[in-house]
Amino acid sequence: MAAVLEPYIYEGGIHKHTLITELLEDLGGYLIQKIPAATEVTLIMLIPKKDVPLIEELGTKLLGKLTSAPLTGTEIAVVSPTLAAHHLPHSACDVAEHLRRDGANTNMIGLARGMGRRVALSADYERRLINEHDIALFSFGTFADCIKNKKPKLFEGIDIPIIATGGPDLRTEDVPNADVYVGNIGRVAHRLRKSEELSSLDIMNHKVAEVVGLMREDMSKDPLSVLPPRVMKEIYEQIPQIEQVLTPAPVTLQLDGLRVKLPYAEFHKKVEDLQFDEGTRLIELARVLPSKMKNYILIKIKRESEVGFAI
Amino acid sequence: MDALETFVVESAVPAEAEAYRSIVADVISELMLGGAIGRIRIVLRPEDSLFQMAILLRGSQPPVRLVDVASLGYGVMERKEVKISIREEKYLPKLLEKLWARYGRGQVLQPERNTLIIRQDHDPEKEIVSLGSMLIADPKEGLQSRLIEMAIRSTPEGFRVRYHAMKENSFIFVASEDTLKPAWIQQAHQMLAELQEEQ
Repeated sequence: MAAVLEPYIYEGGIHKHTLITELLEDLGGYLIQKIPAATEVTLIMLIPKKDVPLIEELGTKLLGKLTSAPLTGTEIAVVSPTLAAHHLPHSACDVAEHLRRDGANTNMIGLARGMGRRVALSADYERRLINEHDIALFSFGTFADCIKNKKPKLFEGIDIPIIATGGPDLRTEDVPNADVYVGNIGRVAHRLRKSEELSSLDIMNHKVAEVVGLMREDMSKDPLSVLPPRVMKEIYEQIPQIEQVLTPAPVTLQLDGLRVKLPYAEFHKKVEDLQFDEGTRLIELARVLPSKMKNYILIKIKRESEVGFAI
Repeated sequence: MDALETFVVESAVPAEAEAYRSIVADVISELMLGGAIGRIRIVLRPEDSLFQMAILLRGSQPPVRLVDVASLGYGVMERKEVKISIREEKYLPKLLEKLWARYGRGQVLQPERNTLIIRQDHDPEKEIVSLGSMLIADPKEGLQSRLIEMAIRSTPEGFRVRYHAMKENSFIFVASEDTLKPAWIQQAHQMLAELQEEQ
């Protein structure tokens, strides 16, 4: 049984940060994402629970900061009714940015015809794209009447947990089919930076983390046959072309899979044939599918009950 | 009439009206319409998919000439230089563009943030007089397009059926996602009449 891994974000100077990544590798943790920015670096990583103090000690020595990042390893779709200036960049982008601060990978999705009340609708392609994620977060506007009565039809066909954000202070029960509703994040035309706006974003992150916690708990009843970060590590070791991918997260972790940002037609065989030390290939443990996003590869890992064993 | 002396947003739920007022205020400041609008009233009925807006513009502001925003003087007399000390920096980019067009880029020097030196061959005294009356900015310019942009940005996005009426100093905008009822447009005209009656 693999060690229990805890998600953390390290923020510090780029000088000597490789000491952290080396220690992490020695401890059996995983580096999920490394974001260098001039002289600073942000490391998103999974650390074995009992070894967290070791990394923390080294981080303090390097004058960096280690904070818990409960959303690490999740891919969240931030859905806005359209891509018009009415919804973007504020507040939808501010919402996405705040989720990323807790380690989530976010994708902004603007629906083609999501605006309005009677006329709002989503396309089949859009619903399938959203369903590839772990969680869908819908960013709505100011009016309680719209959020309660009209907008929930955009939730139809979405089978992943749904979080809705909006301006009025409603209860989750008032918004049909939403798993969580977070208020006070409605339509605004300025950047969210006042203290009450930021505290609503904090509440949102907290509630999303709760949902992720429930999903993880649910999954632990019938665990995945292999951990997504383990697959990620093997991809980096066995498919060297992944190093040439320029997106910020060439391999994006999901709770029950991964998105590999390589063309499906060219690389899906290589992904399917990934070898594990235990002697199995990835295709025995997971479904390798073409993603709806560009021509990427989507891996959905099968459960232990389906495969019969876990590595 | 002062700038934005009346700024009312009405809706069934006061908190939502307040939130919407902040959106409209942001849009107005983004499009720099604060000085142009005197009174504005917006009525929102999300349950009917209706947005009504009436705006009363302030009396048209006079065009800005160089003497209004800068003081002109002499530079080095032997070289017939003209010196401009600008007081309102926001007009500097437009002024520079006009000066470059008139004298050429090499002849306009900016030794310091608010000071411009112009090298030229004419009589400096006459040049100062003609420069002083140079038109730098016209507040009316682009006002119409900015007003329409403001209306579209502040309306809920799905309300794509629109009516507008623009006169010399007033602007009416009605939007919905369904066919507009004549009564709604009538109400908007009524709103404007009420704004005009306000003292």
